[in-house]
Amino acid sequence: MQETELLDSQWNLKWLGLNHSFFTIDVTTVVNTWIIIGLLIIITIPLRFILKKKESVARYLVTSFTSSFMEICQQTLGIFSFAHFSFITSLFIFIFLCNTIIVVPWLQEPTKNLNTTFALGLISFVYTQIFAIKSHGIINYIKEYFSPIFVMFPLHVLGKLATIISMSFRLFGNIFGGAIITHIYMQAVEGSILWETLGLISGTNLVILLFFGLFEGFLQAFVFSMLTLTYLSIALQDESDILL
Amino acid sequence: MIIGETSELLHCSTIALTIAVNSIGVGIGEGLAISAAIEAINIQPAAKNDIARISIIGMALIETAAIMGTTISTILLLDSRTHHASLYTGIAELGIALAICLSGFVLGLVSALPAQQAVLAVARQPFFSQKIFRFMLITQSIIQTPLVFGFIIAMFIKDQAASTISLANSLRLVASGLAIGVGSIGPAIGLAHFAQAACRSIGINRNAYNKLLSFTFISEAIIETPIIFALIVSLLLITTSIAPDDMLTAIAMLAAALCIGLGTIGAGISSGKTAASAAYQIALNPDNYSLLSRISMFAQGIIDTCAIYGLLIALMLIYFR
Repeated sequence: MQETELLDSQWNLKWLGLNHSFFTIDVTTVVNTWIIIGLLIIITIPLRFILKKKESVARYLVTSFTSSFMEICQQTLGIFSFAHFSFITSLFIFIFLCNTIIVVPWLQEPTKNLNTTFALGLISFVYTQIFAIKSHGIINYIKEYFSPIFVMFPLHVLGKLATIISMSFRLFGNIFGGAIITHIYMQAVEGSILWETLGLISGTNLVILLFFGLFEGFLQAFVFSMLTLTYLSIALQDESDILL
Repeated sequence: MIIGETSELLHCSTIALTIAVNSIGVGIGEGLAISAAIEAINIQPAAKNDIARISIIGMALIETAAIMGTTISTILLLDSRTHHASLYTGIAELGIALAICLSGFVLGLVSALPAQQAVLAVARQPFFSQKIFRFMLITQSIIQTPLVFGFIIAMFIKDQAASTISLANSLRLVASGLAIGVGSIGPAIGLAHFAQAACRSIGINRNAYNKLLSFTFISEAIIETPIIFALIVSLLLITTSIAPDDMLTAIAMLAAALCIGLGTIGAGISSGKTAASAAYQIALNPDNYSLLSRISMFAQGIIDTCAIYGLLIALMLIYFR
């Protein structure tokens, strides 16, 4: 009880005289994000030692996961680039853990808060734009906004902004919806022992958690990272290939 | 007393409509997707595992419309109405129903088109299933943008509906929902039509994959432009404050919503059809890619000017009437 009250509270900078909601921090989201980062570290460090053993299940799983992502990156980008590969893969792993952390009791998905998904959308957008500028040069990058004719400039800007909004809100809407449905189901079941046992025995608990927690979480994380990868591949392409 | 009951009726109908209308579209769409998958397995039984996997993921993406509808319904349902809500809150909530129902129904229905063509393309090109799968994932996610916008507007309207105290303000919120709801129909159909043609084209000629991918991104950004105009008008309608007894401005706002909503239908559908035929031609003739894509983008730009006229008149109706 004490813990939940602590987690539901908000930290703010009112003692500094800053009374705007911009300076308020949602403790639940931040703590859950820290827990996920800690979990990532805890998983990663032993893996380095496990990978040294020649025959183990963990080694097989890690290598097959890595090689499938390497293949996807290489097919989409045309060339293999370690920087892009590690960016896309870490994006996927982080969002996947964020979405599926609900299977652990007392934890909530950070991605059901709009601030997290918007930050993720901004990260993927800025990364894409930086590499577009790096590969084409700043002049060609600005020129793309005025192609085919200069009137298209506002449409290009709107289109870029719409990608951030639609990417972050797609992730947010799906995870938020899943979280609400799971929450209602849990509220309904928690009340009586009869319903709890029925849900446990019939497997309804498991099905709801599997679909909305694991499957939907995996799908949305995959969609997010694949969209980022494809935007990146479009940005890296020669503009002569696209327009002329 | 009769006022409170009418308000409750409007509130409950909004909750029911939001999920029910979305479910109609999603149900039909999922049926279309899975029937195409069964047909594809008949054509190419060797690829049955790939086809089954792709169709299941496609159905899960179609389901997004239903999940969004359920979310909005539940938020409305859980919202405890301790005080006796005024009639104006009930009217304003109709805007939520308009914003989510229209976009969710159309999107549930048309999201099935790319999934259908993708499984048929896998039946034609069984060794290319990975790339077709990723292409379907990307196109299906992009065409859900109108639904995402409708969801944003519905949340905004929900935020303001409880504090509405006049008929003029509740009509303003209804107009906001109407603009994004009606405005998403045309672009959604156009986007889905294009995505369908693009998935089919990859099945015809897999060597054109890279060209089709970049063409898809540019074209879908242009087809989406009308829905962004509708979003702009919707957001303006939500943020503009009007006097409680200013009915004339409220009526003009309803007209502005209809203006941008109906104005995007033709532009969205025909822009999608233009790009769809260009994608088909690129698959048949990859060497002509530069010429075809330039003509298609230019034509789409001209078609979008119709939506820009609608936007201009809508803005004038809101501000300079």
